[in-house]
Amino acid sequence: MKNEIDINPTQEAQAETPEWLLDLDKVGFVRRLFLARKWYGGDWWFVAISAVFLLFFIIVGIFPQWFAPYDPSAEVGPSLLAPGVAPSSYVLVAPIESGNITVKDIGDKTNNIGFVIGSPASQSLREATDALNDSAPEGVRYQPRQMRYETLEEGLDALAAGEIDGFVASPDELSEVLDKYPTLQIANTLREDASKGFVMGTNQIGQDVFSRIIWGTRIALIVGLSSAMISLVIGVPLGLISGFVGGPLDRVLTLIMDSLYSFPGLILAIAIAAVLGAGIGNIIVSIAVLYIPTYYRIVRGQTLSVKKELYVEAARSLGTSWTKILTKYIFPNVIPSVVIIFSVNVGDAILTEAGLSFLGFGLPPDTPDWGIDLARGQDYVRRAWWLISYPGLMVSIVTLSFSMLGESLSEILNPKLTDR
Amino acid sequence: MSNSLRRYLITRVLMTIPMVLILVTMIFFIMRVLPGDPIRSQLGPRVSEEQADALRERLGLNRPLIVQYVDFIGDMVTFNFGTALTQGERPIKDELGERLPATIELTIPAITITAIIGIFSGAYAAKNRKKPIDYIIRLLSIVMSSIPIFFMGLVFQILFSVRIPIFPLSGRMDTLMLTTFDSPTNFYVIDAIITRNWPALWSAVTHLIMPSVTLGLALSGVFVRLTRVNMIEMLQSDFITAGRARGIAENRLVYKHALRNTFIPILTMLGLQFAILLAGAVLTETTFSLPGVGRYLVDRIQLRDYTAVQSTIAVFAMFVAGVSLLMDILYAFVDPRIRY
Repeated sequence: MKNEIDINPTQEAQAETPEWLLDLDKVGFVRRLFLARKWYGGDWWFVAISAVFLLFFIIVGIFPQWFAPYDPSAEVGPSLLAPGVAPSSYVLVAPIESGNITVKDIGDKTNNIGFVIGSPASQSLREATDALNDSAPEGVRYQPRQMRYETLEEGLDALAAGEIDGFVASPDELSEVLDKYPTLQIANTLREDASKGFVMGTNQIGQDVFSRIIWGTRIALIVGLSSAMISLVIGVPLGLISGFVGGPLDRVLTLIMDSLYSFPGLILAIAIAAVLGAGIGNIIVSIAVLYIPTYYRIVRGQTLSVKKELYVEAARSLGTSWTKILTKYIFPNVIPSVVIIFSVNVGDAILTEAGLSFLGFGLPPDTPDWGIDLARGQDYVRRAWWLISYPGLMVSIVTLSFSMLGESLSEILNPKLTDR
Repeated sequence: MSNSLRRYLITRVLMTIPMVLILVTMIFFIMRVLPGDPIRSQLGPRVSEEQADALRERLGLNRPLIVQYVDFIGDMVTFNFGTALTQGERPIKDELGERLPATIELTIPAITITAIIGIFSGAYAAKNRKKPIDYIIRLLSIVMSSIPIFFMGLVFQILFSVRIPIFPLSGRMDTLMLTTFDSPTNFYVIDAIITRNWPALWSAVTHLIMPSVTLGLALSGVFVRLTRVNMIEMLQSDFITAGRARGIAENRLVYKHALRNTFIPILTMLGLQFAILLAGAVLTETTFSLPGVGRYLVDRIQLRDYTAVQSTIAVFAMFVAGVSLLMDILYAFVDPRIRY
């Protein structure tokens, strides 16, 4: 008997509700997420794709060392090397009896290393010794005496005669003349790490663009997430209280927030950042200030409409404390919009941070940061497109992922837009 | 003028005053309360303490904060912006008078581009909601607002100025032409038309194309989405359903009936966009080396010229408040429902 009563309404409901909705009731949370794409269509895909992107960026941001081949602030290669081009490799020539020595073995002050005057070999040698010195323990310093020769033959003669300990030259030049010197051989490449190459080229001071972009992800995420978090933590309670309490407090707060909201955000951030000075904490604060009004306005508006609901009225008449009404009865209503604003806000904050750094108000100058790289690359726009393209693309893609997530969520969750 | 309209206008104007006041006050205290001594950083470490004190005395910085504040507000009310610390203490008013036209010349075409792209593609996406074209327009609009303005500007410079030299790289006009160009109002386009200097007009216009397209495109993203959401709501309203029932053609319904009714919210949003537009103008002016107010502000901040900075920001605040006031007055005339 009981069964019959139960079955009837279900059958009626089955006639009205589409099949996919019934599917949803049968399955678990994960399957439900996947089935939901039937209904939400493109927006589901937007959310899914941006979520995958963001997950990847967050992993990159937490563990940049897994992805970056070089130290982002070390000079690891020649300057302004185009992406994918192998650095011109110089080799060290030494007498056969010395074996496969490297610059490290003959890098002492008493040693002499020769090269042809005016050739890029001198820069390569300097970079090689600099790199050695950077990684050398305290007190050890590599500083071989540099000997300059007019021609390759002159230098090799000196090497064969034992006047110098090594000679730096490019393998192409050597292939023609080295046969004449039976006692000499190519001992080693000048640098051990240069063989890794530079996927995205190097910048004007020889840093690896790819590594800087990877480490920049961390900075961008730290700035974006923490400034959005600060705005949220300040803006949401203010909006809740202001909307709930009302009266003069509400009017004053709304006026302040509206003035802040109406003002060009970047200009305000510039002013605050300029006064505070460079530093990641200061940047976070100056960006956070901009977005407090956004949370405030939305949360206040929703609080105003929710507080008139019957269940809030009921709770009040039962003598529930106002803190409990705010946290348990009103706050849950604003969570969806806060999530949406947060997502869009993080994207915006990353964009603003890049803008601030681009104008020179951001982080300390040597931070691996996309905005700073863009600003520096601007001077080399004609010669080196890769300096601005990659950081610019990264800012765009990360911002895009956050905005797409927020926009699509709002499209899904906005009750005004649901079909009648 | 009806009574209700007059009352609305008066309230609206009165509401603008505290808004500007709050911003100006905030800037005043930010510049003073936060750590960092503008005078020291202005003069550099080699100048003696006496000289620094003398400068403080002359600028009135040794007076109590509240006196300085009242003085500053008084100056702002009378549009007396004082003189800059840098550049041989040039009056800030002159400087802004020269630079504001450059910013306005940039922002007017930009906001026009934004409005045209925004309204038409937003309405089109709303009409075709949940069809592929809707998703494409939305995706493009998000992409547009995710690209940093200066990056877009730099890419345009590389493409259309370095690789294919169609447009000039930067500036407001060819430098050679500038030496003979007479500009009484500092609006180069207007001046060129007045003086019938056609080559100068051509030069000024071509210099404006890339910056204003960059700025307009970057802002259009937000605007497309706002228009779309408003149009969707409008298309669900009863009068549209009624129109459909009467057999009015769908295109006419969307582009005439619905779009006309969304115009007011769209105008409101355009007014709000103006603030974002000014922020974007700072970056665009920097990228394209346009001598506008935004560029001026950035330069002065870098030089720690705090009198110039606080006055410029005050001017920005007045500018924004003025535009939003103008917009609101406009709607009050257009739509009687707004008056109260």
